[in-house]
Amino acid sequence: MAVVRDVSFDVRPGEVHALAGANGAGKSTLMNIVSGVLTPDSGTMFWDGSPVELKTPADGRALGISFVHQELALVPQLSVGENVFLGRHPVNRWGVAWDEIHRRTRELLAAMGHTLDPARLVKELGVAEQQLVEIARALASEARLIIMDEPTAPLSGAETTRLFGTISELRARGVSIIYITHRLPEIFQLADRVTVLRDGRHVLTCDTSAITPEELVRKMVGDAPAFVGGVQPAGRSRELFRVVGFTAAGKFEDISFDVNAGEVLGLAGLVGAGRTELIEAIFGFGTHDRGALYLDGTQIRIRSPFDAVRHGLALVPDDRKAKGLVANASVGFNLGLTSHHQFLLRPRRLRESAGRAVRDLRVTLSSLDQPVTTLSGGNQQKIVLGKWLLVGARVYFLDEPTRGIDVSAKAEIHNLIGGLARDGAGVVVVSSEIDEILGVADRILVMHRGRIAGELARANASEERIVELATGGE
Amino acid sequence: MVEPASGRSERARSWRRAVLAVMRRLGAVLALLAMCAILTALSDHFLTFDNVMNVFRQSAVNALLALGQLLVIVTAGIDLSVGSVLGFACVVAAYMMKAGIPAWVSALAAIAVGTALGSVNGLMLTRLRLPHPFIPTLGMMNVARGLALVISGGFPISGFPAGFRWLGAGRVAQVPAPVLVVLVVCAVLHLFLSRTTVGRDIYAIGGNKQAAVLCGIPVNSRLTLVYAISGGLAGLAAILLAGRMNSGYPLAGVGAELDSIAAVIIGGASFFGGVGTVSGTIVGALMIGVLRNGLNLLDVSSYWQSAVIGVVIVMAVWIDVVRQRSASKNTQ
Repeated sequence: MAVVRDVSFDVRPGEVHALAGANGAGKSTLMNIVSGVLTPDSGTMFWDGSPVELKTPADGRALGISFVHQELALVPQLSVGENVFLGRHPVNRWGVAWDEIHRRTRELLAAMGHTLDPARLVKELGVAEQQLVEIARALASEARLIIMDEPTAPLSGAETTRLFGTISELRARGVSIIYITHRLPEIFQLADRVTVLRDGRHVLTCDTSAITPEELVRKMVGDAPAFVGGVQPAGRSRELFRVVGFTAAGKFEDISFDVNAGEVLGLAGLVGAGRTELIEAIFGFGTHDRGALYLDGTQIRIRSPFDAVRHGLALVPDDRKAKGLVANASVGFNLGLTSHHQFLLRPRRLRESAGRAVRDLRVTLSSLDQPVTTLSGGNQQKIVLGKWLLVGARVYFLDEPTRGIDVSAKAEIHNLIGGLARDGAGVVVVSSEIDEILGVADRILVMHRGRIAGELARANASEERIVELATGGE
Repeated sequence: MVEPASGRSERARSWRRAVLAVMRRLGAVLALLAMCAILTALSDHFLTFDNVMNVFRQSAVNALLALGQLLVIVTAGIDLSVGSVLGFACVVAAYMMKAGIPAWVSALAAIAVGTALGSVNGLMLTRLRLPHPFIPTLGMMNVARGLALVISGGFPISGFPAGFRWLGAGRVAQVPAPVLVVLVVCAVLHLFLSRTTVGRDIYAIGGNKQAAVLCGIPVNSRLTLVYAISGGLAGLAAILLAGRMNSGYPLAGVGAELDSIAAVIIGGASFFGGVGTVSGTIVGALMIGVLRNGLNLLDVSSYWQSAVIGVVIVMAVWIDVVRQRSASKNTQ
């Protein structure tokens, strides 16, 4: 299946070129091709007017293309200077030329308008400074095209302003920048031109002065038909669970919301808005600095997932393989993860319950002893959810419950979500797919950079409205 | 208005950082000196020239193994085979000399054999893509020991020419020859790690392998080199040991890999890679040597020695964990 299809665009010297599109539009894939991490099935790239073929990231670097990834490629235990020259240490007759490393690092940083001690260890730096080190590395390798993937995602407001200053310096020196983002204000503030991708296809490339924010949102979203959900809107009833003032520095701030019994609450936002961190913190898996939780109006304290489970909370994490399943164990074992203690010394009862769950979830398998990895993604996800159904929780947190699974399994999981709510549970669904949120949620919270940007009732929620709130547009 | 205050706190912070850096550098040294002071107070025999030289001489073999282990641990790896490779190299050198081959050729052969077995470790790790260095080196640990027993039939081979024994038992102006060998190796390795691009690559690989790959560092060949050096140093250690004992016995170095790992870790290297120095490792090796020697002088049974050393290893690493935690708090 083609992830990116028939995309053509150009970047001029000294230009900031924004690459916009919703999650899954193919932005990262395209940039991996441009930087040589992936090779395209067809198509040609021209550099300075002549065709080039990149087979590895090293080929891209040799041309002068650098990729500043979201997960920074730094060695935390080494100094700033050494990270800038990693793999390319200058040498003199006495070996590695530390003086030169430090002097040139200082020069590169100064050229971007920053001072940073080249001898400091990278692990002592904040994210913004680490990003700077990586940009300095790109400059040290004489990059002429720097690709930045969502560079402001981990930054505060002041840090973002400084990054924009840095980018202006680079532009003034003739360095071209491809700036991947889905934050509208940044596009209009920073970019000369913008290219929009949707579902892997090239929608348009134009000057940012030639398009309005509203038009751009429409280009990013398209005229996709609204999702028709199979879930009945439940009336607001009794408050079940409440979060007050939840804060973790740098991740999310002052989050308050409640979930009613029988309600599905959607948590929308961009990747990196802090949604996963928030619900993992509520569940006692991540940390938080402040905030209180109430169940049935009584305050509860959750210090670990063990506490959360005891209070009747359930979490289906975003990363099925890493956090949801014991990959090399059987289906039966995975279903019993939450309830082994109840069936201690009674393995037959566990097998009966697990068997019932498998039938209810409509998972087709030959045996409960089958390794869980032999199931399809959709069925694996049902097992992750199923382990909570075996014990029965009161509040379910589902993080991207249908990521990477096929359409029919998706529909079944949506039905399950509806069923949980009908049985009186509260369900919080985090999803980056706006269709899904619109389809399953009774009420929608939109997060933007760690804060709740707005709340929408099902009746007045629309794709445009959610995208606007999630991208920080007004 | 805010400027001077923040400038001052910035200065205070950098001052505190400098103090912490010195602490980190000298922490193990201070502990070693404290241990020496206590032993001097408890025993008249500890702080004599002969005894100190004795400690150095006895620590030399572990120091060489630990220096090889250091390179491996900096890459976030582990080499369990060094003790067995040492035993195998001992037997090979002894066998060759018994067969009438000159001492210097036999000695070089011991180093060559060690380097070869180390390279095999590295190749198994990088070419066969075994999941963790634990596995190839655990295999090599058994294979090398087994081969040593096969070649020797399980018996020590004794009686070497004086030239061969000199490296292990000789002296230069009162200083034992093994100590000089270790000093030379230390100097070379220190320069290698701090002043060559290959040395710096080793730190990068251990600190963030992904970043090393993205920066075009040839990770596999660097890793193979590291295991080869570790094996080669085990071969050199074999020459010292065989020379000192005047015999090559197949069970030489049983359990030595664990002492070498202990020395590296006590010396401040991180098991997770990217951190570790030659000087720290030497201090770690001396700490173990001093402890053994001191407990002997105090007539503590070797059974108890083992228990004490175990406690010291855990304490040393725990102190480091506490120090790191306070350091990271201070920089925030």
